[in-house]
Amino acid sequence: MRLVRGGVLTLVAVFALVSVPLRAQQSDERLKRVTEDLFSRAEHVDADIAELKSVLAADPKSAQAHMLLGIAYRAKDSPDLMAEAIGELRQAVALDPSLVPAYLYLAHLYLDLSRPDRAKEELQAALAQAPGQPQLQALLAECERQLGNPKDALDLAQQALAANASLAEARFYEGKALYDLGRRDEAIEDFERVVREGGQRFEVYSSLGTAYLETGRTDQAIASLTDAIKLDPSRPEPMIQLARAYRLKGDVARAELPLAHARTLMGSAVSAADQQVERDWYVEEGVLRLQTKQLDAAARDLKKAVDLDSSFGPGHRYLAEVYIRQGLYTQAQDQAVRAEKLGSPLPPDLRKTLDEKLRASRPKGRS
Amino acid sequence: MRRARAVLALAAVAPALALTQPPAPARFADVTARAGIAFVHRSGASADKRMVETFGSGVAWIDYDNDGFPDLYFVNGAPGTSNALYHNNRDGTFTDVTEKAGVSAKNTGPNVFKTGVAVGDYDNDGWLDLYVTALGPNILYRNNGDGTFTDVTAKAAVAGGAAEWSTSAGFFDFDRDGRLDLFVDNYVDYRTEHNPYCGPKKEGYRMYCDPKIFDGMPDRLFHNNGDGTFSDVSQRAGIANPGGKGLGVTFCDVDRDGWPDIYVANDTVRNFLYRNKGDGTFDDITYAAGVGFDGNGKPRAGMGVDCGDVDGNGLPDLFVTNYSQELNALFLNRGKGRFDDAADTPGLRSAFLRLGFGTKLFDMDNDGDLDIYVTNGHVVDNVALFQPELSYAQRDLLYENTGGDFRDVSAAAGPALQAERVGRGLAVADFDNDGRLDVVISNLNRAPVLLRNQGGAADGNWLAIRAKGHTSNAFGLGAIVTAETSAGTQVREIDNAASYLSSSDTRLHLGLGRATVVKRLEILWPGGSRQVLENVTANQILTVEEK
Repeated sequence: MRLVRGGVLTLVAVFALVSVPLRAQQSDERLKRVTEDLFSRAEHVDADIAELKSVLAADPKSAQAHMLLGIAYRAKDSPDLMAEAIGELRQAVALDPSLVPAYLYLAHLYLDLSRPDRAKEELQAALAQAPGQPQLQALLAECERQLGNPKDALDLAQQALAANASLAEARFYEGKALYDLGRRDEAIEDFERVVREGGQRFEVYSSLGTAYLETGRTDQAIASLTDAIKLDPSRPEPMIQLARAYRLKGDVARAELPLAHARTLMGSAVSAADQQVERDWYVEEGVLRLQTKQLDAAARDLKKAVDLDSSFGPGHRYLAEVYIRQGLYTQAQDQAVRAEKLGSPLPPDLRKTLDEKLRASRPKGRS
Repeated sequence: MRRARAVLALAAVAPALALTQPPAPARFADVTARAGIAFVHRSGASADKRMVETFGSGVAWIDYDNDGFPDLYFVNGAPGTSNALYHNNRDGTFTDVTEKAGVSAKNTGPNVFKTGVAVGDYDNDGWLDLYVTALGPNILYRNNGDGTFTDVTAKAAVAGGAAEWSTSAGFFDFDRDGRLDLFVDNYVDYRTEHNPYCGPKKEGYRMYCDPKIFDGMPDRLFHNNGDGTFSDVSQRAGIANPGGKGLGVTFCDVDRDGWPDIYVANDTVRNFLYRNKGDGTFDDITYAAGVGFDGNGKPRAGMGVDCGDVDGNGLPDLFVTNYSQELNALFLNRGKGRFDDAADTPGLRSAFLRLGFGTKLFDMDNDGDLDIYVTNGHVVDNVALFQPELSYAQRDLLYENTGGDFRDVSAAAGPALQAERVGRGLAVADFDNDGRLDVVISNLNRAPVLLRNQGGAADGNWLAIRAKGHTSNAFGLGAIVTAETSAGTQVREIDNAASYLSSSDTRLHLGLGRATVVKRLEILWPGGSRQVLENVTANQILTVEEK
């Protein structure tokens, strides 16, 4: 089972412990060394984990060691260690409820698990320890956005920025909230500013690329999505978006490559996030086949997309289009009705075509 | 990719092994129908795929009427279903006495799913009591000694949290005050009314959720106050780790310091080994002991667990059943607080594709060493849709201890072990007192299976011990027994709490091989007294009164 990280920004991870002072046994040289190592030499994480286990063997009640071990597990970014990371961090706060960074990392992990409700609880607990702490407020903004409250998210992000205008994650989450509120140009301004000010992270480029794409700035979208892929070549989402960008630009041939590559990176689609990626892949593949007039392949792909997520309107809408082009008007009508109910009606010209064909195929009544 | 190759390799090897196996040292016959056991487990399975539906319920051997023949108690799952107590008629048959006994637990509430069972005489009146765990409030039934039980949960204050998902539990005397305390595993923070959708969103593909998406829950330790009440000392004792996702628990004195320790099998997070410090508190020594993870430092999905000295060095080892495509863990106790995981020992590799639940280390052939029984069955009922190499119903596994390794003898142990089931709970007792340990398995959504041990070609002699504590608890739980025979020395602990959601006989069963006499039998009672018997004849059920 693959539990995919959600679209949560990871750049905060590095900043968190810097701005929230560690309340640890500073005398413990081993923990100090691991702390420094953990945030500066990612390639040492296995050695850090071994060292922390060794510390815990000697001192099983070290809240600091449990917290760092949880952080180290998260740094491994392995679904096998996600539950363990949460377990260690929860044990850390059980042993020392004042460990603010532990709550912050717990919140990140819950967001990775698509559980913004639990992330919010952890951040509220942290804010009770450190009222007004801007990093906590920024992440709380993202929780609220994921909970479907973009206005609250915007307020919180702006509070965080009022406290620290250079806080990259607050700016980024403000951008995401603005995007959800439909204020896409403002969102793009925020994302661009984050990049300009040094926040060249996968999540930022990916969000920026998607925002460019939605606002018709295809060339910029291609550039940003390419940057995102360079930063994390293991993620299929920007590759699917890149394929879409090339297709919208009319470069169908170039769209094929990222789409094929994305396919190789997709998991077994058990988690909700995985399923959404797989659905998007089938939609893009289907639309690409539609454009290249491979109608049978397009129908097969789009059927898979709506099979994975029957509540996704665009999937039904494109499938209706394929059926129209195949002359399967009854099936097309069925898909068009579903698409319309889900807010993705056929374009007027196609709707008109379908209506005409349906009328023409109806048996003539007695005069 | 590497894992896929390993699966193929193991799958290819398994049939070849089966063909070349010599006869099993013991064969087991399914005598469920003949015994008159009509109980059928109901999980409450629904299209909603509530997670609790797939974890099954436990089974216990409990000689509730002290007639010397272990009786059977089955836990049912779904709200409104009845648990069942079967009286052992001493002729191979059983009679359902649930209603008279008053232990059906069927009126526990609309959202209460019953899960596990523990057995112990918490009030030292000489009659074994029952503790039933649940997703919801747990229940303590006091044995009245007249074939009936009384629900004393409220007075005893051992219900646990109203919404807690409790699983395995067990009685043990952690402070050695002569009264049995109670340890309760808690699993994850899951509520049936908040049941997320997991799996692909197409018909037939919804699946039970991965426990990784739920928070763990701290286990509970209840101290017996000696007046019919208990106090929750979990926090003070240091066992309330909120990261735990406990499914199995067992107690044994891993460092032989005289104080019983606790080992918890957790699902998807590391296991816990709590060392009893003797002052009412425990240290989590998992990291020091090396019993939390697999050899690559990854947590496994621990389900069932047992402890016992499998390698004959006098120290209890730990065995844990795990998820499919994980090996079961065998942590060999090397002394001085260190264990080595022998999961990859060749004889145990046949478990790789199975999802193990109930398990027991027991001497199936009375040759003096501990063999292993594992019942299996996947938790994802439609697993074949996602991983065609796996199946929902699976065969049990029986391993013979060959001294230094194990041999999978399941294929030769009789038709009962060739049946595929969705095994969950498992408990062991010599229910017909014929000197061979029998096995009962609780299956998910099906009838249980009672497997009578028919012995084998080289059946050994045996000795069963019914410990009667006076200063110590009345059934001597936690006593360490050392038996010296012409074949060597065995060290065993009287501990009925192990496996998964289940409880085995409180009598200790020793296989003696060819020895007809135990030259020296030493009982170290949990209260601290040491008692020695000499030249004890084999093939009897010996009652030992604490002096």
